[in-house]
Amino acid sequence: MLTINSLVKRRGSQQILSGISFEARPGRVTGFLGPNGAGKSSTLRILLGLDRATSGSALIQGKPYAELHHPLATVGAALDGSGAHPMRTGRAHLRWIARAAGLPRSRVEEVLELTGLSDAAGKRVRNYSLGMGKRLGMAAALLGDPDILILDEPVNGLDPEGIRWIRTFLRKRAESGHTVLLSSHLMGELAETVDDVVIIKQGTIVAAGTLQEVIGRHSSLEEAFFALTMEKAGDGV
Amino acid sequence: MRAFQAELSKLFSLPGIWLAVLIGAVAPAVIAALDAIAEKEAIIAGVSTRLPEMGYSGLGLGVQGVIILGVLAVSSEYVAESSETGGGQQMTTSLTAVSSRLHFLLAKAGAVTVISILLSMVAILTTVSATHLILGEYTPAFEGSRLAGAVCYWTFTALLAFGMTLLTRNGIIPLAVLIINSSVVSFSVLLHKVTKLAFYLPDRAGFEMFMFTSGSAHTPGTGSLFESYLTPLTGGLVMFAWVAVLLMLAAIVFRRRDVAA
Repeated sequence: MLTINSLVKRRGSQQILSGISFEARPGRVTGFLGPNGAGKSSTLRILLGLDRATSGSALIQGKPYAELHHPLATVGAALDGSGAHPMRTGRAHLRWIARAAGLPRSRVEEVLELTGLSDAAGKRVRNYSLGMGKRLGMAAALLGDPDILILDEPVNGLDPEGIRWIRTFLRKRAESGHTVLLSSHLMGELAETVDDVVIIKQGTIVAAGTLQEVIGRHSSLEEAFFALTMEKAGDGV
Repeated sequence: MRAFQAELSKLFSLPGIWLAVLIGAVAPAVIAALDAIAEKEAIIAGVSTRLPEMGYSGLGLGVQGVIILGVLAVSSEYVAESSETGGGQQMTTSLTAVSSRLHFLLAKAGAVTVISILLSMVAILTTVSATHLILGEYTPAFEGSRLAGAVCYWTFTALLAFGMTLLTRNGIIPLAVLIINSSVVSFSVLLHKVTKLAFYLPDRAGFEMFMFTSGSAHTPGTGSLFESYLTPLTGGLVMFAWVAVLLMLAAIVFRRRDVAA
């Protein structure tokens, strides 16, 4: 369970998040949608304890990230890129994370297999394509077999096969009772994967609910998204 | 402890660290050998005033290996991936794996300290051997306390590099400043002509731990840069104070800072 409550983030005079609240529940895939620069990544970074909130809270199973006893067994996160040093091999990257989390080395080979990276594991990360980097990020997120997955633009840069794999994988994850929160700006991909939708625009939530509730009388999620985000932009002009 | 092991694993899987180890093992021996060759005639003739410095000059000037180690340990966390692969950085992974920033820093500083101590011991071995090779029977005896001082000097230098890089989040400035300061032109050498306070700068104070023989400590007077000014213990404490203050400052800044900022 992820709980975001009245979250505000200011950086200098810039207001990035203006008091947003939403939840991501177990057994469901929650899609966090919004245009670039709407505050999606900032929200996820605050949730993971990487950035500080100006006020409000972002809790994981009721606790801030820094208070989790086994963070990697609780939350798996994949943000920008692979999150690895370019000069390290994919395997070496996963091995140090496994060591930090007290996981056996065999687990590294398991997630490499799971994400289809076994053959590329000995290559340095700087030689990876965008899709391979994403897979490595996923592999790192899955190391601790966490209850919760937090993924920033997970399908970005993946080939059709990779997108299909992610979609099926996340569905299975949710069906077995796990919590999945993913951000995206790709409506088509999202509509087929998510149960719940949260739409953010300029640091404010403009819609939240089940996929059906958010689509409402619109013909598709994409239509609903543009109707909701444009409307607001129109008001400002 | 797990975080500490992870930091060691990170460092040893980084190619740049092996360069640091190589430089750390070789540079002081080369400097000491060159110095010994230059002084050999004077030493044999019994007129050299620099006999007590033989070997130690290499350990004093050959610290580039641990500087690279301290800088890389931090700067590698901030290296941005290419934009084609999404432009992330390892720091996000590190801080999600170890959620306490203080634990993360202690683990990293601990790994740098341990590797610096081991590397300085290797350097002592190569430097003493190189000095023996050149000077043969004229080699002065190496005192354990001075060698221990050199180990402290190397470790403190690595931690200074570590703290500076934590503040700059980029390795270039600390690397350039510290390497030039240690090998080409020392800031404290320039400054000591202006004020005695230069003797309290970390590198000069650290030198007191091993560069000068104990006898000269009681006759400071001339104010020469090549004579002892503080006792070895005071020198070590002064350098340690610099390290402690810098690391505390860096830790405070690091704990408050957003990763994205």
